[in-house]
Amino acid sequence: MLLALLMCYAGFTALCLSTDRHHGELLHSKPSPPRRLTLRVAGWLLLALSMWPAVAASNWAQGVVEWCAVLMLSALLLVLLLPYRPRLALILAGVGLLASPVAAFALL
Amino acid sequence: MKEGFRQAMAWLHTWAGLIFGWLLFAIFLTGTLSYFKDEITHWMQPEVQAYPLDDARSLAAAQTYLQQQAPNAARWFITLPDSRDPGLSVMWQDNNDPGKRGNFIQKVLDPVTSQPVQARESMGGEFFYRFHFQLQMPYPWGRWLSTIAAMVMFVALITGIITHKKIFKDFFTFRPRKGQRSWLDGHNAVGVLVLPFHLMITYSSLVIFMSMVMPAPIVASYGDDSRAFFNEVFPNTNNAPALGQPGVLLPLGPMYAQARQQWAGGHVGRLVVNNPGDVNASVNVVRAGADRVVHDFGSSVSFNGTTGELLRVSGEQSLPAAIGGSFYGLHMGHFAGPVLRWLYFICGLAGTAMIGTGLVIWLGKRQLKHAKTAAMPFELRLVEVLNMASMAGLMIAIAAFFWANRLLPVSFAERSDWEVQTFFIAWGLSLLHAVLRRGRQGWVEQLSLGALLFVAIPLLNALTTSQHLGVSLASGDWAMAGFDLTCLASGLFLTWAAWKMQRRAAPQLKAERARGLTLKQEAN
Amino acid sequence: MKSKPSLPVVYRLAVTSRVLAAVVGGYLMASLAAVCLALWMPASRADAVITGMMSSFVFYLLAVIWCFACRTAGRAWFGVMLPSAMFATLAGIGLWMTRT
Repeated sequence: MLLALLMCYAGFTALCLSTDRHHGELLHSKPSPPRRLTLRVAGWLLLALSMWPAVAASNWAQGVVEWCAVLMLSALLLVLLLPYRPRLALILAGVGLLASPVAAFALL
Repeated sequence: MKEGFRQAMAWLHTWAGLIFGWLLFAIFLTGTLSYFKDEITHWMQPEVQAYPLDDARSLAAAQTYLQQQAPNAARWFITLPDSRDPGLSVMWQDNNDPGKRGNFIQKVLDPVTSQPVQARESMGGEFFYRFHFQLQMPYPWGRWLSTIAAMVMFVALITGIITHKKIFKDFFTFRPRKGQRSWLDGHNAVGVLVLPFHLMITYSSLVIFMSMVMPAPIVASYGDDSRAFFNEVFPNTNNAPALGQPGVLLPLGPMYAQARQQWAGGHVGRLVVNNPGDVNASVNVVRAGADRVVHDFGSSVSFNGTTGELLRVSGEQSLPAAIGGSFYGLHMGHFAGPVLRWLYFICGLAGTAMIGTGLVIWLGKRQLKHAKTAAMPFELRLVEVLNMASMAGLMIAIAAFFWANRLLPVSFAERSDWEVQTFFIAWGLSLLHAVLRRGRQGWVEQLSLGALLFVAIPLLNALTTSQHLGVSLASGDWAMAGFDLTCLASGLFLTWAAWKMQRRAAPQLKAERARGLTLKQEAN
Repeated sequence: MKSKPSLPVVYRLAVTSRVLAAVVGGYLMASLAAVCLALWMPASRADAVITGMMSSFVFYLLAVIWCFACRTAGRAWFGVMLPSAMFATLAGIGLWMTRT
């Protein structure tokens, strides 16, 4: 579940940054169209791909349930962190992405 | 109503949410606690010892006990211990009044001695589980009310989605420290971000009691013979009737083993023995619900109790049965391991918070309109009292339930009933307190009391038992330690809430005293 | 401060009417829709009944939403009773077919 969590959280952060309002709050600039597109694609991709580690770890039904739980709670974590500790929120996403290959390796 | 569609849905969302919100808050909070009902029971009956799991020994112990105590019962139920519930639970339905639904008597046995565990009588976590769908009302009224509440919840969820115009734009938006705006952001956050869970839990609760609340198709399709429908869906209940001649029940161990063979190593959840003293006794070995996500109501192997003959192995589920089983399995979460179980718990708390924030917003919006008037209209005062009692009051009641468990003497015969009564007495007193105290003050006082009661639980545990945090953490008894720590965390949360409430109340208190809030009918 | 005039009786009656249409009429419509599914679905008897019961709540939801979204209380009742009559007819035909 850990890898799925890291990927979901990073994915949601990317999607969040792709919006004008939150990009402005967090990075103090407006996202350029190519950047916005990249962030959107990366975000959705991370969310979709995060299903794989969830399902691979246990059987199909259990995996989907775990993925949904991780999806919901990573979004909730991000949204609750953003107004209080925006930099921490971003750092967690970064660290999560860096740690993902390690977690993936542990799964294989 | 010449307003638009969205406005109409907003109106419906607001009123449905208010009228049923207090009840739904209680259902959601107690339901959320139910995900850890085994752990709660463990804390509330610390005398029940957990042994390494040995199904054969447990089964033999249960059979010995039941043969002595209830040889002529209508049915026996044996629930084997598992990793979360160390108790060997036996239950029987007595046969005293033919034609009437017999009474159920339940005991928890020690699997080694096959005697009832000498533990304090308590409902444990089962109290919250049963309350959240039976609401302490006689059968079947509580179930009807909770299912009606579930339908209203469903309407509230969908109308909420329709009403939330900027559901995608505001997906990540949460702006604290901005008064009513923050409450609404919070309500939207716990609502939208956890929406799949809320929809699942609500719709599944309707499906769970659908035979009771929506019987029309059964009657239309089966006419007078609705029994045939239930036999098809729950083949376990379709058992040969008693012949009225005495018979000797074979040992259950071999039947258990044969059933597990049928399931390629799957686990046994419980055994149901019908007419154990009769020559036509039948044994249903039911698969453990925790084995898979999709609950299979029929998954059982049936034997003739006196000959040991294999009568029936349940087949594959049909798609509609699998869909129904999915709703049931997802709602119950039996399959969830420790991490997923905590995620379920957090999602449940989010749902509870969604309802709670909604109730606060309903009142807050209208209080603003009346902030300048001399008195709060009766209707708003009523909502304020109910908000306080149903939220802060409920939390006090839950803490009181745990306090009663530790303070009532262990040997006191009716202590289980008195634990439950303490819960309702505390809840009732909080309602009275809410009526007598003004809004903010009442909230601060109740939240503070709740905070105190919860924070003190680990201390109470240490003073009244030998299973305090030092011991439970050292021995790896995570259920015991987890309970103490969660109570502590809840207490800290309530302390923070009380403090926040106090800070906001302070400058207003003086002005309120000058105006003198009173109960008053809205002048026409 | 001048107190708000209370809502007119006509309004309250209209709301009550819509609530009844939604709660009672909606339940009727949902039940009849479920019965139709149970009788017409090409599956085993039990499976069709289960499907009917599980889907009924969606029909109930749609009825409730209609009753509050439409323009008048009269339309609310009409919008619930008409489908109910249709479902009842279909169900009747279904029952007649199973009997013969």
